[in-house]
Amino acid sequence: MTPPTIGNTTPGRDLKRRFLWLGLAMSLGLVALAIQLYRLQLIRHEEYAAKSVANFVKEVRLRADRGVIKDARGTILVDSRPSFDAFVTPAFCTDCFEQVIPRLGELLQWDPEQRKKIEDLVRASRRNAPFQPVPVRVDLTRDEYDRLNARRDILDGVEVVPVPHRNYRADTVLSHVLGYMNEITQEELERLNGDGAKYALGDYIGRRGLERYFESKLRGQDGVRKEVVNARGQTIEELNDKLGENAVIPPTAGSNVVLSIDMRLQEEAERAFPGVTGAVVAIDVNTGFIKALVSRPGFDPNLLTGRVTPSQMATLARDPLHPMINRVAAEHYSPGSTFKVVTQLAAFKSGAFRPETVVHCSGGYRLGARVWRCHKDSGHGPLDGRGAMKASCDAWFYKVADTIGLDPIAEMGKSLGLGRPTGIGVVAEVPGIMPSSAYHDKASPGGYTKGMALNSAIGQGDDNVTPLQLALVYAAVANGGKLYKPQMVQRLENLDGQVMEEFKPEVVSKVDINPAHLKAIVEGLEAVAQEPGGTAYRAKLKSGLPADFLVAAKTGTAQVARIGTVRLKTHQMSYFERDHAWFAGFAPADKPELAVVVLNEHGGHGGVDAAPTALAVMKKYFELKAQDATSPPPRANQPYTPSLPPAPSLDEAALTRAVVPPPRVNLPGEPIQPPSETGDDSATAD
Amino acid sequence: MQLRIERRMMPHVPWGLIVCVLGVCALGIWNLASASRPPMAPVWTSQALYLGVGLGAVLMVCLVDYRWIQRMAFPIYVLNILALLALRLVGHTAKGAESWFVIGPFRLQPAEFMKIGVVLMLAKVYHDDFQPNQPSYGLVRLWKPVLVVMVPFTLVLVQPDLGTALMIFLSSGTVILFGKVRWYLAATIVAGVLVGGLIIWNDYVREMPEPRTTVVRHYLKKHQSQRISGWLDPEADLRGSGYHAAQSKIAVGSGGLTGKGWREGTQTGLRFLPEQHTDFIFSVWAEEHGFFSCLLLLVLYGGIFILGLGVGFNARDRFGAFVAVGVVATLFWQVFENIGMVIGLLPVTGITLPLMSYGGSSMLSVMLCIGLLVNISMRRHMF
Repeated sequence: MTPPTIGNTTPGRDLKRRFLWLGLAMSLGLVALAIQLYRLQLIRHEEYAAKSVANFVKEVRLRADRGVIKDARGTILVDSRPSFDAFVTPAFCTDCFEQVIPRLGELLQWDPEQRKKIEDLVRASRRNAPFQPVPVRVDLTRDEYDRLNARRDILDGVEVVPVPHRNYRADTVLSHVLGYMNEITQEELERLNGDGAKYALGDYIGRRGLERYFESKLRGQDGVRKEVVNARGQTIEELNDKLGENAVIPPTAGSNVVLSIDMRLQEEAERAFPGVTGAVVAIDVNTGFIKALVSRPGFDPNLLTGRVTPSQMATLARDPLHPMINRVAAEHYSPGSTFKVVTQLAAFKSGAFRPETVVHCSGGYRLGARVWRCHKDSGHGPLDGRGAMKASCDAWFYKVADTIGLDPIAEMGKSLGLGRPTGIGVVAEVPGIMPSSAYHDKASPGGYTKGMALNSAIGQGDDNVTPLQLALVYAAVANGGKLYKPQMVQRLENLDGQVMEEFKPEVVSKVDINPAHLKAIVEGLEAVAQEPGGTAYRAKLKSGLPADFLVAAKTGTAQVARIGTVRLKTHQMSYFERDHAWFAGFAPADKPELAVVVLNEHGGHGGVDAAPTALAVMKKYFELKAQDATSPPPRANQPYTPSLPPAPSLDEAALTRAVVPPPRVNLPGEPIQPPSETGDDSATAD
Repeated sequence: MQLRIERRMMPHVPWGLIVCVLGVCALGIWNLASASRPPMAPVWTSQALYLGVGLGAVLMVCLVDYRWIQRMAFPIYVLNILALLALRLVGHTAKGAESWFVIGPFRLQPAEFMKIGVVLMLAKVYHDDFQPNQPSYGLVRLWKPVLVVMVPFTLVLVQPDLGTALMIFLSSGTVILFGKVRWYLAATIVAGVLVGGLIIWNDYVREMPEPRTTVVRHYLKKHQSQRISGWLDPEADLRGSGYHAAQSKIAVGSGGLTGKGWREGTQTGLRFLPEQHTDFIFSVWAEEHGFFSCLLLLVLYGGIFILGLGVGFNARDRFGAFVAVGVVATLFWQVFENIGMVIGLLPVTGITLPLMSYGGSSMLSVMLCIGLLVNISMRRHMF
């Protein structure tokens, strides 16, 4: 040890002063820390406290049960069944893109395109919300579920979760009315949540029909359960006391929809309807409630609600029969002879015709240089109004059109609801067309001519109606002129069966018709079905309805393709050129209850191909009515089990096959065709 | 070399300093018991063990006369440098930095001990360099202290351990300033700080229409730039660069006046804070015990600094004074930077909080520092 030297032993006075400065500086540093602490912990405490809560509280949505849809007797047509969906949580999915997704793809048999889509989806949510499970497959089949479960060990971050899935028990039956569901789009999400709804991406939303129309009622209100999660998103149950009150808000189930449709009648209509395409609608003439509704072909809502593949979607869209269109309201057709009711009402109203007015039918009607043919080339001879209706003689109605012109007919048609929407609301509809002279002046080249009135008088030309509109016209004729709003939902119930909302019959308008005229018309319609020579007489005989049960009806055969010089037999024409078979009527004629319209698209002749269906529906309706009057009401909420044979289908070749191509003699631009003979009734024009 | 404590040294034992140190250690272990609550490993028991080892180290350091340490300063310094060099070859890589020696169950961080080496060496340089009535240090005369600092600074920086390098730089800088420099050097430092602040303000804070005219920003790589913007506004990128800063601010802020209670902190318990028992230990304390307890901790640290400086103030020679200054500056900058980063005042660097953070090397090096202070204090009136 060396002894200390003077020079380096005593720290100088200067050093001591520097110590003071240094101490001061350090104290200031600590004060600065204290000030920042004060700002964080006292001034901004609330803000950070809220943030820390937001950090660890996860809100789990408790889905509300969607309401079920039942028929008039409480049979469940649509409900929810348990199913399993596969989810990937990106945060827990290690080696997601190298291992998990390729394996998942193998197990679920994805094609490369699907895999790419899923990968993009997972990649996107890995960035944005890594703890949010991404649905990668909805509604696993039993096989897929087993396969995933068996390989759980190699599928990190993949979860199989039970999720309620919409179950359409009636398959394709009523598909257009019930609708289907699929995933909500971003725009809808923003719009609906802007209006106060609470949807999340990936939610299903009702499309078409009742599912769409009653979406807000069926949906119910979701609840919330709060959970404590740690930074990895794992739930920590021991800490649930930190959540305080209102940790769980239970969901409220959606309302149940009760239809006016009775499945027993619906089944009978489905069974009796022979057509590949077409529509049947049965409506209560005194309330406007729809009792049965067939639109064929239907689609499978279970398929569309689940995981419909793009190719299946394309097949549906390309199907020449257009299964997605509701033929009852969303498509219009030439009504053919069923329209003659309107023409005759207009004729009587004009005063120029009376029920006794006789017109001589010589097989045609001459207007100017051209002859409009009646469907019976040999002619019906002299006929009064009743006879004309019974035999569906075109000449009588040509005469009417020639005498009073198109506008009185159009006016009558419009007052009966033709040419405008019925206001049904639940399903989409088209307004149809009720042409008038003003319409033709605007729409037809060369403007309105008398010939157009002649065509329209027999339900051809530009006349276009939906089966639903026609049913309402016949219902109005039956009930003395009241035009009802068509409805198919009786009421909304809550979970316990209490009525939440009841739908009452609504009269849209009261049509001003002389009761005497109505009586004359109904007599003519009765003759159609009850008297030999009536176009529905044979069908009525074969239907098994008692002879004293009076049906008022009118058949129609609406021409689709222009007729050549030689009329072709039905089987000679390609499918899409064949005539539409119509039936419209109500029963019982003396005390009307049910109006039925049948459209057998490209089906043939009204009396043969449409009338039997309608009569079978009527028969069933009154049988059921008698049966229900004596037996106790059924137990409600029984699930519907379909007992129908598959609907008739058409192989694709038949759609385009023509045995003999229809000869085209006339120039395509020519508006009116020279008529020829066939069938019970028929007409002219395109 | 004497290895005993004489009776006449006893009145000069800095009991206040020791009480402050033990107080912080006790709070630290209690706090660690909360930060490492189940399901995490209960590391507080090992921390208690390290504290015991640390106290042993204090005693060891006290036994020898620090004049012997003064003579050994150069060998210690060289040994540390060699250790750092050896680390390049046999070091254990963790989180991209080679900072550990693994010796059996222990992991030693030589950079922690390098800090002490630098402080001792600097003190020795200033002690030996002293000539009465000389003007303060100019640029030329500074070469020795600067060399002493720059060699370890560079070595630690290339590990890369930016935080520790920064600590060496700041504490040595404090010592050099304490040793007094010419006015123009002081002015340059002040101007440099101001210009740096202005550049950051211009490049990152100032509201300016695009394209912004930046001075330095466009030379920086993206991740470097992000580090600065993440410090200035951690909430702008919560999931990425700003995550630590934002979550730790939330933890501190949500503590409020009185805190959430021991082992009740949600940020801590649910592991929203990474590194919560090492670098971010202070946020655990702040969240669970609140503002008053934070002030208490600051006061204890303040006590250590002031009493430590007091030791230097009363030291019998320049070496003792400079060692005290160096040791206190080392501790101060660590405390300041660590707490500053936890409460969002300073950018995030991997610096532990002395005596509070879990870690043997850190505890041992801090205790060696404290031992030096006690040693200097005890021997102040030996002659």
